[in-house]
Amino acid sequence: MGALDGLKIADFSWVGAGPRATKDLADNGATVIKIESRKRLDLGRMSPPFAGNPKDVDGSAFFAQTNTSKQSVTINLSDPRGIEIAKKLVAWADVVVENFGAGFMERIGLGHQALKEIKPNIILASVSVAGRTGPMAGFRGYGNSAAAHSGHAWLTGEAGSPPQMPPLAYGDVVAPMFLTVAILAALEHRARTGEGQHIDVSQIEPMVHVIADLYAQDEVEKTGNDDGDFIVHGVFPALGEDQWIAIAVENDVQAQALKRELGIANLDREAISTATSAHDKFSLFDRLAAAGVPAGPVLDGKNVLENPELAAAGHFVKLDHPVMGASNMPAPPYVLHGTPGKVERAPCLGEHNREVLIDMLGLDANHIETLISEGSLA
Amino acid sequence: MSMLAGLGVLEIADGMTDVGGRMLAELGADVAVVLPETQANRTRRLAWHHGKTIISPDDPDAIRALAAKADVVLDGQREGDRFGLGEVVSDDTIYIRVSPFSTNGPYAGRPATDLTLFALSGLMHVTGDPKRPPLKFPGQQAYALSGIQAATAALLGLQARRRTGKGQRADLSAFQSAVLSNYREALMYEWTGRIGRRHGNLLVRGKSGVRQVWPCKDGYVTWSMIDNPSMMRAVVSVLEEKGAAGELSQIDWDNTLVADTPQETIERWQAIIADFFASHTREELGAWSLKTGWGLSVIYSPQDVRDSEHLKARGLFVEVVDEETGATASVPGPLFHSAVMDAPRRTLSRPVPASGFTGWEG
Repeated sequence: MGALDGLKIADFSWVGAGPRATKDLADNGATVIKIESRKRLDLGRMSPPFAGNPKDVDGSAFFAQTNTSKQSVTINLSDPRGIEIAKKLVAWADVVVENFGAGFMERIGLGHQALKEIKPNIILASVSVAGRTGPMAGFRGYGNSAAAHSGHAWLTGEAGSPPQMPPLAYGDVVAPMFLTVAILAALEHRARTGEGQHIDVSQIEPMVHVIADLYAQDEVEKTGNDDGDFIVHGVFPALGEDQWIAIAVENDVQAQALKRELGIANLDREAISTATSAHDKFSLFDRLAAAGVPAGPVLDGKNVLENPELAAAGHFVKLDHPVMGASNMPAPPYVLHGTPGKVERAPCLGEHNREVLIDMLGLDANHIETLISEGSLA
Repeated sequence: MSMLAGLGVLEIADGMTDVGGRMLAELGADVAVVLPETQANRTRRLAWHHGKTIISPDDPDAIRALAAKADVVLDGQREGDRFGLGEVVSDDTIYIRVSPFSTNGPYAGRPATDLTLFALSGLMHVTGDPKRPPLKFPGQQAYALSGIQAATAALLGLQARRRTGKGQRADLSAFQSAVLSNYREALMYEWTGRIGRRHGNLLVRGKSGVRQVWPCKDGYVTWSMIDNPSMMRAVVSVLEEKGAAGELSQIDWDNTLVADTPQETIERWQAIIADFFASHTREELGAWSLKTGWGLSVIYSPQDVRDSEHLKARGLFVEVVDEETGATASVPGPLFHSAVMDAPRRTLSRPVPASGFTGWEG
């Protein structure tokens, strides 16, 4: 049983910012129907790494990990007959999710007002780079735009250094997490009042929120890895090429323990570095943890995939996929003991057309087959 | 009304739940928070705990009594359960226990902070210059990520309770929350065998690396020469208009794969772009990008973010007052836009003794 069993989501979103939120919902039991099209492929299906042929629309591991537990139908949204089918899914759904460019949903007749006419208490959840209102509404960004517009890039790195871009589209991580929270809160509101609503999540704003502690300062400064609240707060070399360990000392007890474990008299950066560089990062982590000192080896991608703690916690779930074979997919970072949910593999493109449109919605099978063969459902 | 009005939340804060409690308070929940014995600095308290009622733990029994009647308990204690909450929460309560690691795995019980959790995420390894130590992201991102997941778990529990009539317990790992945000590194290793490295501000794809950060006349912008022919044509078209395109005019972008182009050629092309960007302002470059689809973004300083007309129009920043000191700070307020939200309290409350807390009545 999942926490969201019975919840119905019509998911028009693509790439990362929307799909990561609907993955959260699907992994927790919601029925998420992903509406996509061969005519305008989800760019996630073309994003590396690939299990084999990059042109195989079902072979992207990026797509697979972002779309677990969902079902896929193909609807050509540039075809009026496709739009009519999409409206049937809206009528079925509790929540519609989209992250198209500004005005697209309105142009195809699926704006909030139109959705309300189909289902008065619908929740429409939109996520975009800058939000749907304000002078920048409609701004089309790529990858790291939100890192640039939020102050993240400017604030990353040592004092006086140029801006540093994050190594991934962090806005595509944080914004969908806000979108998930927003959808769940809107569901609670609907349960209390019967009212739906339009939620408008900007990617820039969540990126500002997660550094609110810096914005609360009178003068916001970039400090690299330093933190003035700690006695020690830094990354130190460990044995081997490009091997590092982070150490953070919050109090005198930890400070004494660190000196003892490293065999040093002073906690200056040079003394700590000299001592840590003689040790393997994992064995030093074990020793410092046992002594009560917060530490963490700087893990690379291999270390993460092979990490024993993540394995024990079930962080990656091995799922069989018809194109990719057995693949590791990330699970939620929590276990709800009463309603644990279940992570299932991502769908192939249009895999559930008949199951959803004929069996679930009860649409005429001959009509659906015609629409499939004529490209309206493609 | 607010979406979560009347929802009683007890938060035992120590970094990992702070953002989650703040999100629930912003959504209208009545959040009572117990701060750690060693408190974070004033700015962190203002940022994460405004809109909540700060509870001083004068009487552990009173804290336990609050836990027993709360709708939601966010328990983010990093060093064990100092109040014995696990024994007193009721079957109706949604009890979210946030720990640095899993409860039974090999790292269970190990000490951790935001920095050490971020080091473990796999993100630090690929952030920064290859010749310098790995960098963390600004602020406390591992704590922020676990906090958002704590709010998510609480709201999932609330949905389940509506259906089943029962609360439940949940365990949340801050380590897993941080790793979940890293969607690239483990995946790339699994499928390609490649281990990601730090490349500074180079975006490395295929055989070559392209710049992501460029100085301009009055600051920095981010833009990359990627395999997007229409974007490249749009940029070159403006350079041509200004007589600055040089050899870029001769390139057939539809049949050029930047990722497969020799690095020295890319450097030559980028030098032309660099000269052009350096002689124009952020405003000019941003306007061209918006008009013709360059995919360029101006890199804002914190002051630029505060001064942004767009964010002002969206009402992102709000004034928060510290009730004890009268100090104020301008921090982000609304989480998103919704027509049904009221603004919550914008104060950092004076501490209220647990034994005297009268919230959640009725």
